[in-house]
Amino acid sequence: MSTLSRINFTPVSDILPIQRRDFALNDPTLANPTNPVALVDGEWMTLNTSYQAVRAALITGVVGTAFASVRSFPVFAEKGRYDVQAMSLTKTPLLYRGDYEFDTRIYDIAATVHAGAAITFIMQPLKVALISFGGRNFSGLVGHGTVGGGDVDPIVGYCTRLPTSNGGQLRFISGWAS
Amino acid sequence: MSVPARVLNELFTQKLGSSEGKEKMAEYGGSYIRDRLREVSYARKVVPPEQVTRTDCQRSVNHDTLVKIVDVEPQSRALTMSFRGQPTARFIRGPKAEVGFYTISSEVFQKTEQELLAYEMPITKIIEENSVKDIQEVEDREFTVFTEAAVQALQVQANGGVATPLNASTIQGAGVVEFSVRKGELARTATTNDATIRPIQRPDLINLFKLLDGNRLRSERLLMTEVDWDDILQWTVEDFGDRLQSETAVDGFKYNTLFGRSYIRTVKTDILRAGNVYVFTKPEFFGKFYVLNNTKFYIDKIANVITFQAWEDIGMAVINIAAVRKLELYSADADPTTNADGLITNFIPVTEDALGAPNNQVDNGLVFPEISAY
Repeated sequence: MSTLSRINFTPVSDILPIQRRDFALNDPTLANPTNPVALVDGEWMTLNTSYQAVRAALITGVVGTAFASVRSFPVFAEKGRYDVQAMSLTKTPLLYRGDYEFDTRIYDIAATVHAGAAITFIMQPLKVALISFGGRNFSGLVGHGTVGGGDVDPIVGYCTRLPTSNGGQLRFISGWAS
Repeated sequence: MSVPARVLNELFTQKLGSSEGKEKMAEYGGSYIRDRLREVSYARKVVPPEQVTRTDCQRSVNHDTLVKIVDVEPQSRALTMSFRGQPTARFIRGPKAEVGFYTISSEVFQKTEQELLAYEMPITKIIEENSVKDIQEVEDREFTVFTEAAVQALQVQANGGVATPLNASTIQGAGVVEFSVRKGELARTATTNDATIRPIQRPDLINLFKLLDGNRLRSERLLMTEVDWDDILQWTVEDFGDRLQSETAVDGFKYNTLFGRSYIRTVKTDILRAGNVYVFTKPEFFGKFYVLNNTKFYIDKIANVITFQAWEDIGMAVINIAAVRKLELYSADADPTTNADGLITNFIPVTEDALGAPNNQVDNGLVFPEISAY
């Protein structure tokens, strides 16, 4: 099980080539750090019909029930940043386009969601689902099941370093497949 | 200096190829049709910006962004006493507010140097200059959204903590308290709740001033659109008096104050929508506008692609929500929470990405007479 820290999502590769786009939060209260379900860095978002950011997986259910069925993007802003809160539109930056490698704490290595599998090997595909640790829920990374073997959920990246050999953080490269 | 704009475009690409090429270009002129008036920020006239540095701000242990903490005047009072009595005590405490900083940026502009040759106007220079105004437009949008939130918050408080529609129907039914927002004289007596902008009347402004002046504050600055200002020019001799009426008919209203209050007019009717008039106290009672980094301009050329961008870092906050009041010249409800008449989009700023929509329709072929070259 992962643990939440002040910084949960850190780049391992150069961030300059990545398109980091700000999107207004559909629910501006997620920018408030006192919100028990405030958005944290490394959570995964998608876009709604108003071109606003919403969590890619609903976090109101229980683990194993909710997953992202559409393309999603990670949040590149720590919980409660002043710049996000200060804007009238409460925009938060997402890694929108381009390839990258990041270390993340927002994952559940053991969860098996919707034909998924626990994260056990390098280059295992990853997907986004409701996960829970530290007393709250997140929209984070879980293992994807066998491609072509029943797991039809979108892949958002591939594991490059397991948490057991990376100080408790999951290292992954971006990569989209559905 | 006056040189053909085509030459300027060539100079622009040449300079970028030189070692000192990332500096700003010098001032040159050009001849082209302008799409719209571009104003400087009205927010900066209501709350003059203050330059701050890193050392004025506070960091966070949780992330790498900055706030500036602003002290608010502490409460105190005096009391009468007998010769033997003693005053009540007050343990001193002053409220504090945090102003967060964020960036307002232009788009990232890109063009190949070859395609720049297709322009007679100094297109890069124009965009560079307009970018500053574009950034200030977004400042004004932010300011307007925060100001509106302030008056609506106070209005909710005055109505017992309940967001209550403010339209002609609720006013005539005595169902709402007009504390920080007031309808104009013609709007409040309207028979329908609609988005029609009624001409501003002299009593409208006086009643607006009273909303502030009756709360141990003093109204100092009016903010209104040019559209509403034009209606002031319709005032009759009964409003203006003989001398002013004559002057206004010839030169317009030439004075810097109206009823002793300074005023700010804006053409940005997509941000401050017509029919909305705000009155503010002096800035020291109202809020803060901090500039952490003045507008910076970045330009680069990689191979034949020129890229440039401008941005600034600011913090803006309405700290004393009681220091602003609003006059509405339409009869429908403009509270975003209640939106009782479903007309709210007529009264609030357009979305950020809708700013700067063109007036001209040249790309649609709407130029008269239509000339086809061959």
